[in-house]
Amino acid sequence: MSRIEEKLFQNRYRVDEGRSHIQIINPAVCADDCKTQSCTFVCPAGCYATDEQGGVVLTTDGCLECGTCRIICTDHRNVQWEYPRGGHGILFKFG
Amino acid sequence: MAEKFDAIVVGAGPGGNAAAYTMAKAGLQVLQLERGESPGTKNVQGAILYSDALERIIPDFRKDAPLERHIIEQRMWILDDDSFIGTNYRSDAFNNEQPNRYTILRAPFDKWFSGKVKEAGGLVICETTVTDLLKDGERVVGVRTDRAGGDIYADVVILADGVNSLLAKKAGFHGEIEAKNVALAVKEIHFLPQEVLESRFNIKGDEGVVIEIAGAVTKGMIGTGFLYTNKESITIGIGCLLSDFKKGQIAPYTLLEELKAHPSIQPLLQGSEMKEYAAHLIPEGGYKAIPTLYGDGWMLAGDSAGLVNAVHREGSNLAMTSGRLAAETIIALKAEGKPCNAANLARYKNALDHSFVMKDLKKYKELPEILHHNPHFFDLYPKLLNRAAHTMLTVDGEDKHSKEKAIRGSFMQQRSLWGLMGDAYRMWRATR
Repeated sequence: MSRIEEKLFQNRYRVDEGRSHIQIINPAVCADDCKTQSCTFVCPAGCYATDEQGGVVLTTDGCLECGTCRIICTDHRNVQWEYPRGGHGILFKFG
Repeated sequence: MAEKFDAIVVGAGPGGNAAAYTMAKAGLQVLQLERGESPGTKNVQGAILYSDALERIIPDFRKDAPLERHIIEQRMWILDDDSFIGTNYRSDAFNNEQPNRYTILRAPFDKWFSGKVKEAGGLVICETTVTDLLKDGERVVGVRTDRAGGDIYADVVILADGVNSLLAKKAGFHGEIEAKNVALAVKEIHFLPQEVLESRFNIKGDEGVVIEIAGAVTKGMIGTGFLYTNKESITIGIGCLLSDFKKGQIAPYTLLEELKAHPSIQPLLQGSEMKEYAAHLIPEGGYKAIPTLYGDGWMLAGDSAGLVNAVHREGSNLAMTSGRLAAETIIALKAEGKPCNAANLARYKNALDHSFVMKDLKKYKELPEILHHNPHFFDLYPKLLNRAAHTMLTVDGEDKHSKEKAIRGSFMQQRSLWGLMGDAYRMWRATR
């Protein structure tokens, strides 16, 4: 079981449809200014991916709410990070 | 909800639950807010429970707390690519006394602990995210939640909202965590039939085994792995400093896959069914990274205060102790009729300083910096130790004196005599 999607499939989530709790503040910064795009390989849920235009796309459905992406985006501070609304997001069965 | 509480506790992890329970039991009007569906659903830990910290809060917790196994055996494995060298300590005496350590699953455990808060008279409200602190000038007077009309007031707010500590950050009490001061850990829980698990680990009844893992599996990054036995499952995980992950050698989940596939680990997981994958940050900056812990109307406890002893893999016991000491400070001030201002809440820091929490963190205050500059503790030494064992255990006609000389030579060649002595000295300085 090596694909991240297969791991996340085991988890329980209550997704807050249409209300992503994390936002990329300015997508152009990811595409044009960020050389490392480290969020695309450090996020433990694989929420960040590179797109064909050299930018970064974010899908928060599988987010584990760890905070990694916010902390590693030190050069550009381009991640707006909040906790999901109460009761939404990851719901650990075992923790 | 216009009434005013004696105290609001944000978060229902070990720190928040310890604080809320201690205050509710003393008769204070306590409101505890938790963003999860129920307490525990947002919380992640290895997890080992250290009895002492909880015993000081709920002496008879063993009666009904959801505990998995008590630890009778501790293994420490230093891995190379296809081997490990290690130590074991196992004792039947751990069966004959009140156990000091248990494996737990945080979701059921936190739910249990929160139930105790309610029994003691605390008001616990879940599915509620605190979005901001309410201030009157510099003084914290309450919290704003994501519920309609969600402003609630209290004499003091204990922030036990976890490692990200967003509320204190937003309020300007401290800055963003640095990547070098936090570890990212990922883990999975694997289920096995109980009898298979017990025979695989040579245990019976409620006995449990802990394996702490270091070496090649972190690929030179500063970090460790772990494998814990629960009742009918195994928790396996690995964590490294976020600043090391950022250098981009490998994704955290790929690192976990490699740990699981190691020839010494894979047979322990054989045939198991993975049922959850989790990730979590652990504040590992130690003493020097601890932020200001209190101010007018507010206090930090647990991970949000950075109270983790990474060397000894202790965190939840520091969280519970800090939560209890924060609560006891408030209880005493209430009894004396004194306000929860910064001058009076300084007692909390003083109590922490006199407890094992700060004493232990202070003891290792230089260690994070030394490890940052000496990655060979995590790659070179494990390799050399494994090769030394392999050399000595291979009987091939070469005499033992020559083998020892070759081993000494391998250490000297890789690290030089001065390097070796310097490492030993720095390690001694940092841990004495």
